[in-house]
Amino acid sequence: MRQTIKKLFFSLLVFISIGFILAPILNIFFTLTVKELIKTIHDQEVWHAIFTSFLGASLATMLGCVLGVPLAYILSHYEFKGKHILEAITNLPVVIPHVAVGIALLSFFNERTFLGKFFAYFHITFVDTIYGIVIAMAFVSISFVVSSALIGFKGIDKHLEMVSRSLGASAFYTFWHITFPLALPAIFRGAILAFARGLSEVGALLILAYYPKTAPIIMYERFTEYGLNAAKPIAALVIFFSLLIFFILLYFSKYHAKR
Amino acid sequence: MLSASLFKKYPAFDLDVSFEIPKQSYNVILGPSGAGKSLTLKLIAGFEKADRASIILENREISSLPPEKRHVVYLPQNLGIFPHLTVYENIIYSFKARYVSIDEAYVRVIIEELGLTPLVSRFPSHLSGGELQRVALARALAAKPKLLLLDEPLSSLDFHLKMYLVNFLTKLKQTFHLTVVHVSHDPIEAIKLAENLFILEKGKIKFQGNLEDFFKDPPSGFGKDVMKRLRSIKAVLDRNVW
Repeated sequence: MRQTIKKLFFSLLVFISIGFILAPILNIFFTLTVKELIKTIHDQEVWHAIFTSFLGASLATMLGCVLGVPLAYILSHYEFKGKHILEAITNLPVVIPHVAVGIALLSFFNERTFLGKFFAYFHITFVDTIYGIVIAMAFVSISFVVSSALIGFKGIDKHLEMVSRSLGASAFYTFWHITFPLALPAIFRGAILAFARGLSEVGALLILAYYPKTAPIIMYERFTEYGLNAAKPIAALVIFFSLLIFFILLYFSKYHAKR
Repeated sequence: MLSASLFKKYPAFDLDVSFEIPKQSYNVILGPSGAGKSLTLKLIAGFEKADRASIILENREISSLPPEKRHVVYLPQNLGIFPHLTVYENIIYSFKARYVSIDEAYVRVIIEELGLTPLVSRFPSHLSGGELQRVALARALAAKPKLLLLDEPLSSLDFHLKMYLVNFLTKLKQTFHLTVVHVSHDPIEAIKLAENLFILEKGKIKFQGNLEDFFKDPPSGFGKDVMKRLRSIKAVLDRNVW
């Protein structure tokens, strides 16, 4: 009897928690009318925004990996003073409100600052451009790459690297053939999270790069101008594509991990 | 021949050892946990930096060289098999790492000698403990090391597998003319394998010589413990209960 009550209680807990995540998502699809969906599918501005979002999130994830993976390797392999402070700094983007991130990035990268002028020399500006979108998305998502890569690198048995070196491999060869492939599933998981985080960014983009419009921006715009029903089909499309990419990436990550 | 003189300060003790071992000999460093056995191997392999070191391997001073240039292969207790590579890829790793062409004939001899032919395309996660040991040895042999360092390679195995591998190592040493330094805390392993025995305690060598000398005059401390353990095993065997 006691076991049955326990089972029922646990089942209820699982049902409520999973329902809390799944119900609002499913609700969007179930309450969508075909007419609204077709109208949205024919809306070029929506497709443009979705494309901009995915392009921005992809480039931001790449930038996050280029900057974050080497940092995670250094933090996991070397002991030095202030290492823990650096680790804490990599988590800052998660705790700063994203509108504040937008304001910070705008005041740092606008064309009146040294860095803004430097990039402007190469015809790269950040206010209301795809570069701004990438910078904002990379800033808010880099923590995911660093922390996942850090877990990946720390989880590798140091003896593997030792054996590799003693078998005649240089430190560089060892990194590319032992350390990096073994940390790759963790880096990949971090990249998936970073991609998802970048895709969902609104706050920083509202301040730094409202244009070209991303999917969340256009959803927000349609919602404030025309109401819930106008925003819902765009949300459905974005959720559909996000889930599709998420499951494809997850499949490849699991496939790699199985080996 | 290896001639090593190593000194390094550690919080618990100072490691201060000097020894010479002849070419193509099987040497066992025996000592209790925390005696500095693994540290000695890591210093020779180049994974720890000594405060003072002179390591001459076959007339070449190697103490200032990076690990990959020493021609010393280190095999840790957990074997360090690369889990993302197949058995064959593990075995030929040293050729690829040094950007030299694979000596297929030699690799084939090793694979056959170690009975790994049916396993070459498998991943390590699909191998038993004994098979993994053989893969690790095959990979080490493929690198044609001037010195092979074995860091308690048999300590986590059951008695049967341990005895099988002890015999296997003896045969391997003869076939491939290896110079081996094998670290262990198990006297049985030492007696079965050692041509030269070293007793290491708190970072100092308390005994070095052959087994006859050791039995004649065992050193105090861990040396006496070893003798006590061996005597108790002998006593059991003398009862002839089997």
